[in-house]
Amino acid sequence: MVRNDINKYLPLTESTYYIMLTLVDPLHGYAVMQKVEEISKGTVRVGPGTLYGAFTSLEKEGLIVKVKEDNRRKSYVLTPEGQKVLINQIKRLEIMTRNGLSVKNLFDLDP
Amino acid sequence: MAENTIRKFRWFWPWQDEQEEAWLRSMSQKGWHLLSVGLAGIYRFKSGESHDYVYRLDYQTYKKKDEQDYLQLFSDAGWEHIGYMSSWHYFRKEAKEGELPEIFTDPESKVAKYKRGLTYLAFFAVIIISVSHSVWFKYPYSWWFVVRAIYFLLTASIIYSIIKLLLRIRHLRRI
Repeated sequence: MVRNDINKYLPLTESTYYIMLTLVDPLHGYAVMQKVEEISKGTVRVGPGTLYGAFTSLEKEGLIVKVKEDNRRKSYVLTPEGQKVLINQIKRLEIMTRNGLSVKNLFDLDP
Repeated sequence: MAENTIRKFRWFWPWQDEQEEAWLRSMSQKGWHLLSVGLAGIYRFKSGESHDYVYRLDYQTYKKKDEQDYLQLFSDAGWEHIGYMSSWHYFRKEAKEGELPEIFTDPESKVAKYKRGLTYLAFFAVIIISVSHSVWFKYPYSWWFVVRAIYFLLTASIIYSIIKLLLRIRHLRRI
């Protein structure tokens, strides 16, 4: 029952995955944008429109929650439900990566 | 020093937001920078030095208490909020080194924006349909055809907008 609930959020989009990854500890919006760009080595950028939309829907789905406010900026953190979703996403990605890496000779062809 | 402002009227349909953004940018390149937006497509521009400002539109409905959060997020990311027209918010940021800044960084969140617009149109469509009986079958006044004509145009434009937005969403999902 609970598993089904979690699977309905999966797979996460690349942006949502990174946003949730930054929210293991409480963080406010601007810090999320900066951290996503940093940890993804610039491969993923999250604009404010995309982030606001993600915050709104993740909060509505109960995957994140507002925790505090400093300097007029609200911080969010993952809920236990959100943590479960994120862990399941990471497991899926791990399977994907292992499958990719196990393809013989693929990386030899890489120029 | 007299401020030089002009007013322009231009109509855009909800699925033409990217054309609108391009038009606002071309105005800025000519030295006319958006000052405010008003109801029914009235734009005020102020003259100044030519800047390569990039304009982006969001369609967002939020509760009044969430307004601060919303605007803070954009201003932290370097976007200036010019104003809003119904639920369309106008943001501006200067283009740097030929790179065009975006407020939506993936197709999914763009789709979500058009879906918010669709929700509003669907709500409007329900109201329109609920009064259709009264408009078409009651009020036998000689001038009533005017109301019927307006009603017909309104209905047609709502249906057209819904179809156009659905096509736009379908296009984005294929990216």
